[in-house]
Formats: sequence, structure tokens, C-alpha cells
Amino acid sequence: MLRISDLEVHRGNRVVLSGLELYVSSGDILALEGKNGSGKTSLIEACAGILPLTQGKVEWMTPSGEWLTVRDSEGRRSRPPLMGLTLQSDGICGEETVEERLMTSIEIFGLKPTEVAITEMLSEWGLDHRREDRVSQLSGGLTRRLSVLSGLAPVALSETPSVSLLDEPSEGLDSAARLTLSNWIGELSSRGHAIVMATHDQELISESTRIISIQSGSISETAGEGRTGLAELPSACPKVEPSPILTLAGWAFRMEKRNPVDTIGRLTPAILALLLSYTILGGIDIPRTASMSTHIGYDLVAALVLAPAFISAVVSPALVRRLSEEDCGRWWAAMLGPMARPANSVISASILLPIPLTYISWFVLSGSIPEETSDEVLKWLWLPALVIIDVSCAASALHLLVSDLRRSSAVAASLLLAVLVWPFIELMDALSVIMTSGMSLDLEIGSPLSSCILASLTAVMVWAVAVFLPEY
Amino acid sequence: MPSQRDVGFTLTFLGIIGAVATLILGLYWAPLVDPGSWNAPEAYRILYWHVPFAWSSFLAFSMLFVGAISWYRNRTDWGWRWVSTGSDLGLLFGLGVVTSGPIWGSAEWGVPWDWGDLRLNTFALLTAVAFFLVLSKKSQPDGQDTRDTLAAIGLFGFALVPITAVATTWYQERHPGVVIVNSEESGLDPQIFSVLVIGFVSFLILFVGLAILTDLVQRMESKLEQRLREIDEEVAN
Repeated sequence: MLRISDLEVHRGNRVVLSGLELYVSSGDILALEGKNGSGKTSLIEACAGILPLTQGKVEWMTPSGEWLTVRDSEGRRSRPPLMGLTLQSDGICGEETVEERLMTSIEIFGLKPTEVAITEMLSEWGLDHRREDRVSQLSGGLTRRLSVLSGLAPVALSETPSVSLLDEPSEGLDSAARLTLSNWIGELSSRGHAIVMATHDQELISESTRIISIQSGSISETAGEGRTGLAELPSACPKVEPSPILTLAGWAFRMEKRNPVDTIGRLTPAILALLLSYTILGGIDIPRTASMSTHIGYDLVAALVLAPAFISAVVSPALVRRLSEEDCGRWWAAMLGPMARPANSVISASILLPIPLTYISWFVLSGSIPEETSDEVLKWLWLPALVIIDVSCAASALHLLVSDLRRSSAVAASLLLAVLVWPFIELMDALSVIMTSGMSLDLEIGSPLSSCILASLTAVMVWAVAVFLPEY
Repeated sequence: MPSQRDVGFTLTFLGIIGAVATLILGLYWAPLVDPGSWNAPEAYRILYWHVPFAWSSFLAFSMLFVGAISWYRNRTDWGWRWVSTGSDLGLLFGLGVVTSGPIWGSAEWGVPWDWGDLRLNTFALLTAVAFFLVLSKKSQPDGQDTRDTLAAIGLFGFALVPITAVATTWYQERHPGVVIVNSEESGLDPQIFSVLVIGFVSFLILFVGLAILTDLVQRMESKLEQRLREIDEEVAN
């Protein structure tokens, strides 16, 4: 079901795993044991395709029986087939509700569970009474229960044998939840599913069928006692074609609807910029300083009109911060595979705000602009505003790149965002020309259309570099 | 055979002496340029440091680029050390470029910054990337994932160069920028040329000295980290 060949993983200068070969078969309960820092978590994350490999490859068997390379040292990546995943630090955003989290972990693989099945699972894990609550309101133990359940549920509901990857699943669980975990693992194994878990829990280790000891980067294997199933798991549910990106988009939308920090976080600096621009323009007589030949004056108006939307576009997206919570982004990275970064950068961008913000900005700031000019601008203002959406995607990609760092709050992303001044200048130029000479659909250098296309291309190039470079 | 440390210190010292000599020669020995062709003929003297700064920062950014590629392709330790050294020195010399440039620009052009000038903007963006890398190296725990991300950002810096080139070239079509020096036609005065060569050589020596010392510091930090891990294991056992 899962095989690892010649795996080598580094952490800094240290070789954590080296020359590792591993094969996971149907029904295996595989316990990874070893000291702190021995490489258990690295092995789990390598299996999930999250970690870059220095050497070797990780392959998963698809339901059709073919081997799929999930990640290799050459940079090839694929989305793993149906799996369960519980990370060491839960991988859950505090904004999610209990039920949402469970549903997301199941639906991302195209499974459509019944309400009864969800209720049964939540009840068995002692979470049904908290199903509407946000995860941030749960205790650490309950959050861990949810995290472990989310790592087991998709496998439990799958008709085809699947693999569940669990990192320290019993850590933080009370004895009742610990017993439920043991029973589920035993039952899943007897149904032909495989469990790979990193653990220090001696009881869980003794209940596994294979014990893998990791020491100094290499492994040794002994047989375990195994465990027969005692839990009553819900029956397998129907499967449709999965759409993981839509699942992510829906998840991001629900988070924002519940707590609109992204919208507010973008609007606040935009409104402040608009008010400041109004104050600045109030002190300048634009018609007198404007010159048809030099654009002075109209350049300033164009910059101030576009500034609020631009500022709102480059603000750090709330989705990036949500994904930073408790390794939530790593969980999504495993679920989406190589599409995680492009999808995140587009979904987290400011898509709805630039056009209305730019029009509002124009209405507020265009008081002294002649009516004829204003009519022409109103007809075409959507064009530079539309390009600001591209700029926002590029900015989100840069924020995501920075968020890859383990202490992303300790670095200054604005240093990288400086490159986005180019599309802004091009857009300012385009708007200024529209104000002075009117819109032209010519593609000659300096025409508003060519400036907008250039700005868009620049933003797309920055986006592409920030999105695709880190993946290879 | 002298140690790496001695070679590094000696070259750095010689480089600093040479840079100071360049400054003195540039200020007091080099002739004044044609006042009819320049708006601020006296201000040109800052170019004796500005140009070698730019040359050295180009070397540093190249080092960063080569190191990032090497790290990215083969995860080589030397590749990472080149990323570190390239970003440290790129920041140092890049700051020299983007501070001395606007000072001269203010005097010669009347404005400190020209958005249409390719060199100025490219160096500014690359210096910003180097600054980001220097800050990040200090603040992030060392690990392959951290190194991967920072190497990607180093490569991202270089991808900015053609983006900046396209953007500024197109932008200049509408707003013709000021060319810094166009001396090929007239040729350089021998004294000016001499001071520039002394500046180049001095900054090159300074660059090599600092690169050796930075590399040495990184090796020592790496050894120290290794020792600390060994102590961690001993304590754990």
C-alpha cells in the first residue's frame, strides 16, 4: 500500500533518516519508536509527501493497483490517494468547528458520509456535544481527540484498503479515548487498512503488528502482538470524484464568513489610505497643476486613486495566518499535494475588493477632475482595478513563501513585496494616460492597455516564481 | 601555511586600506570632470566608491545565486554557505550602492531616485532580498526546510532581475531616464581610470577577505552546533 525506497531526509546539517527502505501492507499496524529527534515525525511527514527528500522516493498504491510517486528527491510530487493524517501538532485551525473539521478530512477525498455516520463517530469519541463549537474553544485533550479521529475517519469510511498516518496519536488522550483509539486501530487493521504511527506509548507499540525502531537514521524491525478489532465502525460510504481545491475554497470561505478578519484587515488600511489621499488632494488644485504633456498632477491623482486597492491587495492574507496555526497548512499541503501552493495563493488573494475600492476611491478623489475626463475614467477604471487582483495573487504567493519558514512572524515579508511596486507604477501610468488622453485599445508602448497588460504580466511572473520555485 | 583566519583578516585589512586610499585619491587627486557636461561635477567623486560597491555586490549576488542553485539541486553544504556569505556580503555592498547612488542622484539629477533606472532598481530589490535573507537566517531555526525556503527566495531575487529589466525598459519608453555615465565615446581620463582600478582591486580584496571570514564563522557555528547536539545526547543518556 505504501513503499519507501532509499529514503534520506536531512534536518539542517543532520541526517535524520538515511537509506531507509519500508513497505507497508494491507492490515499492518506499524509502530515507529525511537528517542526524541530520532526521525519518527520526519518519516510520517515524508510518507505524507510534506517533507522534501534529499534522496529516495515515497510511493503509494492507488485503488487501481498502480504505484504513484507522491514525492521523490528529483522534485516530482503527486497528491496521495485516500489517506488519514494526524500531525503531531493537530494541524487544525482554531476557527473551524468540530463537525467542519471532521467533514473536511473526509470530503476532501470525495467521500460522502451520512449524518448518522458522522454523529456515531463524534459520539464514540466524546465530541458530539461539542460538534458546533469552534476548535479554539476545546481543551487540548478534546482537540487531540478530534485530530486523531480526523486521521482515522476517512480510512474507516473507505471501501478500499487505505493507510492512516498518525503522529503521537495517544499523546494528550485520557484513558477512555486511548482505549477507543486502540479499538479503532485494531478494527481498521482487521478490515484490511494499514496504520503507520509514531509513538512512545508502550501499550500501542505492543498492540502493533510490526515495530520499527529508528536509531541514528536507520531502522530495525521486530514483530508485535497485534490487536483484533473491538470497535463498531461506521460502514463505508459512497465516493464521488474528489475536488480538493473546491474543498479548500469552501473551507476558506466558511472561516472568513465566521470571522471576517481578512476583509476587515484589508479594508482598514485601504480606508485610511483613501482618507489620507483625500486630505492630500484637498490641498492641491489639480486642474492648475495638471499638464497634458507631462502628466504631472494626473500621475498623482492616479497613484492616489489606485493606492487604497493596492494596499488592500498586498496585506498579509488571513488565510496564510490560519494555515500557520498548529501546522494547519502542513495538513492541507499533504491533502492537496503539489496544488496546495497555487490554490492557496489564489484563494487567499483579495479578489472582491479591488474593483469596488478603486471606484469608491475615484468617486471620493475625483472632485476637481473635469466631467468629460471623469466619464471616460469611469468607463475604463475596472481595467487597472482588475489587474490589482493579479497583484494580490502575487502578494499572497509571496506571503505564502514567507510562511513556509518555521518562525514566519520573525521575518519582514515587505522586503520581498517591494517588487510589486512595478505593476503599481505601470497601472498608475495607464490611469494617468486615460485621464489625459482617453482610453485607447492600441498595443503600442505606453498605451493604457499595454501598460495594464505589462502590469498583469509582471504580477503573474512574480506569482509563478513564488509559487513554483519552492516546489522544485 | 597561514590559517584561513589569518588570510581572511589580512585581506580584509588590506581591502579597507585600499578603500580608504581610493576615497582619498578620489577626493583630492582625481581631476574634476567637465562642468559643462555634468550638473554636479564635484559630486561625481562618490562614484569612486559607488562603482566598486556595485561591482562587489554583483559578485556577492552571483555567489548567492550559485549557492542557491547548488543547495537546491544537490543540498550541498558549500552551497548553503555560499547562500549565507552571498546574502551577508550582498547586503553590505548592496547598501553601499543604494545609499551612495541616491546621494549622487540628488546632486546630479535633482532627485534621489529614478524609477526608470534599471541598475538602481535592480540593486535595490536584490539588496532587499539579501536583507530579508540575513534577517531570516538569524531568526529561523536551522533546518532543511528553512534552507529550502531561503534558497528559493535567493533564486526569487534573481528572477526579479529580468522582471525589473522588462518593467524599467518599458517604463523608460514613456519617462526617459538619465543615463549615469556614458564615457565610452570620450574615454576616461588616465587619473580617473587609475583611481577606479585601485577602487576595484581594493573592494575585490575586501570582498574576498570578508567572504573568507564569513565562511569561517559559518563553519565554526556549524561545529558549535554539532558539539551542542553531542552534549544534548550525552545529557539525555
